[in-house]
Amino acid sequence: MAVKFFGQFLIEKGAVTRTDLLKAIDLQERTNLKFGETVVEMGLMTAVEIARVHQGQRSEDLHFGEMAVKLGILTEAQVQEILTRQRNSHLYIGEALVKVGALSEHELESYLKEFKDDQLAYIAEKIEIPAGVQHKPIWEMVADLTYKMLTRVAGMSIRTGPCTVIDKLPKRPIIAEMGFSGSVSARYMLSVSENTRSLVAKAILDEESVENETVEVLDDSVKEFVNIVCGNIAAKAAQLGHSIDITPPEMRDCEKSGLDVPENHTGLMFPIYLSDGEVFELSIFIPTE
Amino acid sequence: MKRVLIVDDSIAVARQLEKIVNSGDEFEVIGQGRNGAEAIKLCQQDKPDILCMDMNMPVMDGLTALRNLMQLLPDLNVIMVTSLGGVGDKFTEAIKLGAKDVISKPFEKETVLSLLRRL
Repeated sequence: MAVKFFGQFLIEKGAVTRTDLLKAIDLQERTNLKFGETVVEMGLMTAVEIARVHQGQRSEDLHFGEMAVKLGILTEAQVQEILTRQRNSHLYIGEALVKVGALSEHELESYLKEFKDDQLAYIAEKIEIPAGVQHKPIWEMVADLTYKMLTRVAGMSIRTGPCTVIDKLPKRPIIAEMGFSGSVSARYMLSVSENTRSLVAKAILDEESVENETVEVLDDSVKEFVNIVCGNIAAKAAQLGHSIDITPPEMRDCEKSGLDVPENHTGLMFPIYLSDGEVFELSIFIPTE
Repeated sequence: MKRVLIVDDSIAVARQLEKIVNSGDEFEVIGQGRNGAEAIKLCQQDKPDILCMDMNMPVMDGLTALRNLMQLLPDLNVIMVTSLGGVGDKFTEAIKLGAKDVISKPFEKETVLSLLRRL
């Protein structure tokens, strides 16, 4: 058992084939438009205005519609109209599998119930920080912003697992780290596989392929992603009344074994799952006061 | 053609910024540095028209380098580059120290070019 996407669950169950799933995903991608795409389809914004909104989102934690309103490009009423249109036309993967003939309506209903029961333990509806950890709202915000930036900046589809207190960070080939100091201190770490590093590098370098890039450039892209996330965390912390300074990102060497949480520190780990089943982690080492 | 020096500890960011600056025929990148101390040395040595410099760097951070550069080369056009776009006091400090503007990472090509054109 592990955190998984519905399509992955169905393949593992033998309910659909990989080809079925690819057909359904293709149908979903053609049907489900992103907020920006819906806006273009409705003729409400130009490409230049969309770029302005994306740029704004990188330095302020707002949804596309909220940022467009803030910049005076859309009205609140237009945002609601777009959201309604998106909601009404959204095609879920299960529905797409029915449409491509891979599942019947009855099978879908039955598998959905089974899937929900299977995943109950892994779904973090809300980010819950374990009891006894100080500055809980800050760590909830740190995890929330990391998830949002993985989606918005790195373009990843992720699911998240519950936060746990750890003594040791699992072995990973790549760990990018930044330090927080000021009214809240901590070490922020994103530990990823080579595959996830490539996904991040493609987004940061704005390249279709990073196959020919050196390890130095790939690692640097992960560091830069962490830098962008932590910059946003510092901004959000300021809104919560905390002053956080960040140090430049660094790579941690953890090839041989995991990384021990230092003495007098609490280690929090937030697992993050990709649709292919790969897992990577956000971890925070917090000094105990 | 205006001569631009890029100083950022991130190779990925410096490369992306160089690609944007060199994309037309108005600007050319004349070199790169990796920290604030290198920024001061390269500005004195190469006399660029514009310096694009990261705020958060090892050895010497961008704001310290900016403070020194404004005393040494008060007419230098400096644009600060940062992931701390939403932190108001960092923005204010950079502008107060003499930076012409602050741009947030990652970059939007047109934003960078229009900002450079204003200098």
